[in-house]
Amino acid sequence: MAGASSSWSRALMHISPYTFSAVGIAIAIGVSVLGAACVIFCEAVAIYGVIVAIILQTKLESVPASMMYEPDALRAGYAIFASGIIVGFANLVCGICVGIIGSSCALSDAQNSSLFVKILVIEIFGSALGLFGVIVGIIMSGQITWPTKAA
Amino acid sequence: MSSTFSGDETAPFFGFLGAAAALVFSCMGAAYGTAKSGVGVASMGVMRPELVMKSIVPVVMAGVLGIYGLIIAVIISTGINPKAKSYYLFDGYAHLSSGLACGLAGLSAGMAIGIVGDAGVRATDQCGLPQIFSKSSNLSPTG
Repeated sequence: MAGASSSWSRALMHISPYTFSAVGIAIAIGVSVLGAACVIFCEAVAIYGVIVAIILQTKLESVPASMMYEPDALRAGYAIFASGIIVGFANLVCGICVGIIGSSCALSDAQNSSLFVKILVIEIFGSALGLFGVIVGIIMSGQITWPTKAA
Repeated sequence: MSSTFSGDETAPFFGFLGAAAALVFSCMGAAYGTAKSGVGVASMGVMRPELVMKSIVPVVMAGVLGIYGLIIAVIISTGINPKAKSYYLFDGYAHLSSGLACGLAGLSAGMAIGIVGDAGVRATDQCGLPQIFSKSSNLSPTG
């Protein structure tokens, strides 16, 4: 059996895939909301986090205990974990970036009102980063296939 | 083990983490570049509003870094398919290292774009010439 190749492999194979899934979903929404706590314009990243967390959570299926450590189940757990990390941290950095730009936008708009729309263009580039995270998270969630009860 | 699966069971962990690293670190670099250049553009725009649209170049280049990370992350995550093609630890480690390579290169490129872009737009304000940017665009990151 391949698990005997290293102690890391043996340790990983004994952690339930539901652990990885739960931590992944928690990171997706928790870290996204942390990113949304920045000053201005960044509530969209929290919404992205909520959407992906809901999508990941609907992909969780109940697997009988005898099949929990099947390779398919392990792979599904890892995929949810990685998807959650991607979405969470991409939204976090997007939120920080958009917050910094938003505060400088507010300051420069106070000086010169014609600047507001122009700096908003930069904001759009910043928001696209959160969108990249959501796209990859959703593509990766297509890999989540739990073993069916047959066999 | 199901009969259609071949390869090591824990290898997808490293593969998916590689995809995650590619996107997350590239986005960190893109965010830093966008934020630092954006603050410079906003500061410069107070004095010279007509130069703002020309000074968006570093922001666009920082955004492209995020797209690089997206492409690599999608290629890696669609390449992990143990049913169609056996996925050993070798493949998992290869995906992890390629994701880290792309991601950390994007992070460093983004930091460079941020520092240069910020300095460049503030110099444009001082000199008032777009020539500063045609010279510093040669610093665009390749990879």
